[in-house]
Amino acid sequence: MSDTKDATLTPEVRRLQQGMDEVWGNPKGLRALTVVNHTTVGLRFMVTGAVFFLIGGLLAMLIRTQLAFPDNDFMSPEIYNQVFTMHGTVMMFLFAIPILEGLAIYMIPKMIGARDLVCPRLTAFGYYCYLFGGIILFSSLLLEMAPASGWFMYTPLSSGEYSPGPGSDFWLLGITFVEISALSAGVELVVSILRTRTQGMALHKMPLFAWYILAMAVMIVVGFPPLILGSILLELERAAGMPFFEVAGGGDPVLWAHLFWLFGHPEVYIIFLPGAGIVSTLIPVFAGRPIVGYGWVVAAIIIMGFVSFGLWVHHMFTLGIPQLALAFFSAASMLVAIPTAIQIFAWLSTLWLGRPRMTLPMLWIIGFLIIFVLGGLTGVMLALVPFNWQVHDTHFVVAHMHYVLVGGMLFPLMAGLYYWLPQVSGRMPSERLGKWSFWLIFIGFNVTFLVMHWTGLLGMRRRVFTYDTAMGWDIYNLISSVGGFMMSAGVALLILDIALHFRFGRKAPQNPWGADTLEWAMPKPPTAYNFVSLPTVETRHPLWEKPDLSRTIYEGRHGLAHIDHGRRETWGSDALTGKLRETIHLPSNSWWPLFAALAIAAVCISLLVRVYWVGAVATLVAVVLLLRWSWENGAHPGKAPEASMAPSDPPLHYHTMNGPGVWCMSVSHLANGSLYLSLLFGWFYLWTVAPEWQMPDSSPLSMPMLVMGGAALTLGTFWLAKLVRRLRRGNDAGLGGGMYLAGGLGVLQSVLLMAVIWQAQLAPTETAHDATLLVALLYVLIHALLGATLCLLQGLRVGYGYVSAKVPMEPVVVLRFWYFHLVVYWSLFLAIWVLPTVLGGAS
Amino acid sequence: MRRLLSLTHPIHLVSGLTIWGIWFVAIYAGLSVACSVAPPEPESDMLTGINVGVGLATLVTTALLLWLAWASVAAGRKAELRRECYFAYISAGMFLFSAVSTLFVGYPIVFLPPCL
Repeated sequence: MSDTKDATLTPEVRRLQQGMDEVWGNPKGLRALTVVNHTTVGLRFMVTGAVFFLIGGLLAMLIRTQLAFPDNDFMSPEIYNQVFTMHGTVMMFLFAIPILEGLAIYMIPKMIGARDLVCPRLTAFGYYCYLFGGIILFSSLLLEMAPASGWFMYTPLSSGEYSPGPGSDFWLLGITFVEISALSAGVELVVSILRTRTQGMALHKMPLFAWYILAMAVMIVVGFPPLILGSILLELERAAGMPFFEVAGGGDPVLWAHLFWLFGHPEVYIIFLPGAGIVSTLIPVFAGRPIVGYGWVVAAIIIMGFVSFGLWVHHMFTLGIPQLALAFFSAASMLVAIPTAIQIFAWLSTLWLGRPRMTLPMLWIIGFLIIFVLGGLTGVMLALVPFNWQVHDTHFVVAHMHYVLVGGMLFPLMAGLYYWLPQVSGRMPSERLGKWSFWLIFIGFNVTFLVMHWTGLLGMRRRVFTYDTAMGWDIYNLISSVGGFMMSAGVALLILDIALHFRFGRKAPQNPWGADTLEWAMPKPPTAYNFVSLPTVETRHPLWEKPDLSRTIYEGRHGLAHIDHGRRETWGSDALTGKLRETIHLPSNSWWPLFAALAIAAVCISLLVRVYWVGAVATLVAVVLLLRWSWENGAHPGKAPEASMAPSDPPLHYHTMNGPGVWCMSVSHLANGSLYLSLLFGWFYLWTVAPEWQMPDSSPLSMPMLVMGGAALTLGTFWLAKLVRRLRRGNDAGLGGGMYLAGGLGVLQSVLLMAVIWQAQLAPTETAHDATLLVALLYVLIHALLGATLCLLQGLRVGYGYVSAKVPMEPVVVLRFWYFHLVVYWSLFLAIWVLPTVLGGAS
Repeated sequence: MRRLLSLTHPIHLVSGLTIWGIWFVAIYAGLSVACSVAPPEPESDMLTGINVGVGLATLVTTALLLWLAWASVAAGRKAELRRECYFAYISAGMFLFSAVSTLFVGYPIVFLPPCL
């Protein structure tokens, strides 16, 4: 916002803005580590992701140096294995996903007219998990102990027998740590998009970028848990000898491939969707007209989100799966071309019907369209089983993958970077340096990877560390390496451009590109609270229809334009209609996210060095810290002073029974449910497919104790449900005692489950059957303990007055947890006791 | 709950694909289990109980999805709010896509034996 406008502000508005700055402002010095604001944390995500991109790029250059000439001894095979494994791992897990999450974290509240994400402390926690996990993983490279089994870590190569060093452990623990971050972001992005849009922004009026991020976030929530489970099982195999993936012990290495690709294929779309979201945001702006077929694009996003979960086996076409099953996945793989084509035709039609302006961001968009379409075409080729068999594990696949990922993600990301740079810095990007950088990267990329298709078709396997000149691959590899270095020069120029931009960039006007979305109605650089007042938005193009919106927002003429209460607030709205439902009171800066992430880092490191007692203590500390963090919630006086509401504003969210916490718990169940279903899948898969699986004649688990545990759980759940029903009627008599009783039933169930485990005398290191049973029982035991703890804490909170008929939300959240546990427990009982007993020892 | 069942509710943007997903998992898992527990004779080619079972599941699912697509269009026509009409028509498209996808993915049972 310009100084001229500032001069016109009334003293009242100035006071309002100063108050906002005080309540929302970021502290300096060491306390900067406590910042939870989405703008700052989003930028931290993106900067850290960019650093990992440079590291991953450096590794790529090492690979291309090694492969530039035949019989090259630039690197030993052992180091080469580590380098290509870390290149893939860093690019996929530490660059692509986190930087896009960072963009979503930064941009979503601004686009939907909110002041922050719905769980700011979770945002900060996610960042620290990412940072520490990334550092742990990267440190393995410096220690020359990096994982060396490829970025998808196939067993048995990554198992203890063939990878005895700590490399695989670094990967499994580091990636799981980073995935906590992804899940945190996924959950809060879903809830933020659904529940914190500004007044009037109905679901079908929200920006397309929000649709894309909604789909991405749901896919993260559902898609990451299979890999988390796989990583836990593989680490248990490596550290404790549980034979989940060993044929001799009744396991099956193909189970790992299933669990990995159940995550791995959707991940490609998790990466692509935000990229496509950037494209769908920029093209209408530079074409100067609304996108053609908004509804079609929404449908395409949803189809992509779903169908991408039905493709995982197309990475496993050579694993010996029956042809009919392969045909199902081949057909499903081809189906993805339909939603992709819908989007591409929507973009082309928008450009065709508009008046495109050829700016720097658009240059990157054009590059995206060319490269991504080529990658998509080779994708359809790879969906055909016979062709796939022919080029499996060759450089053709490597080339295809880079066309899809670099084309589908990096080019749109660069377009987005140049597009939103003025929003971050208040300055315009340099067209000249930017264009040089684009052309170097675009030409370098195609020189590298177009040629690589031929290298693959000539039979060069991926991951070979060198080759004989007689193979005839010399010239193709040399060209690819030259192209790779050209691309690196382009990246170097890009860094220079960005560095110079912040110093020399021309000052940007308020809405430099003539955009339609709300992030351009904010001051530049952005304030910590985004908007002084929250506008009513009932159109898809607020700034095109109301160009003076930025001014009226700045002058505090819209909603929630008061700060005397000292709270951080944003609207809570109806997921469908955008009508206001509550005022969400957001938490302020906090040390808890950092401390909790540090404790989990200590767990990771102690497991890596296999000092398990330290790991146990660190786990306990992490749990205590997380619970302590949760204590400062709702009506806790440490969170913020309770004050009166403006009469026109809806109630504070914790005075309702359907606030964002309830939604967060429900979305978390999607992740937890995905983990549980993956576990069930593993159980049934090993039972039916593993060649040496041994199902005992009778179950080793005590049926009476399992049933009694289930009865305690069922009773506790119904009791809790009754308490919540009474709360809904405004009756909190006996609430504290009731919570203690439910907690007691949870403790009883936990004790019974421990007795079941103790009595079963399982031999988890000898058979995959017992190992899987143990993991399943521990899974429900953790839920039982957590359910009990939450109820006991609720009892305490009732005593302190933090939970009552006036502040009734938390018991609803806890009840949802118990419902989930109830369904899991009885279905697991059916799977691990009833079915084996009924079907007997069938293996 | 009744609100959720109405075909003008946006939940049906995903319900067609959810049905497709359940069908997909069911035929893949069913095929794997059936081939593991009771593989048919290789000579029987595609004339097996497994192919017939998958085929029936495919036809029933396709019919259900087509009916839902038709019902969504009808709900869209009757809708009073523009928002409801909008979601009903998009849902109809999603049901139709899911129906076609079901047929397309299930079609290989016509020419491939199940367990080879």
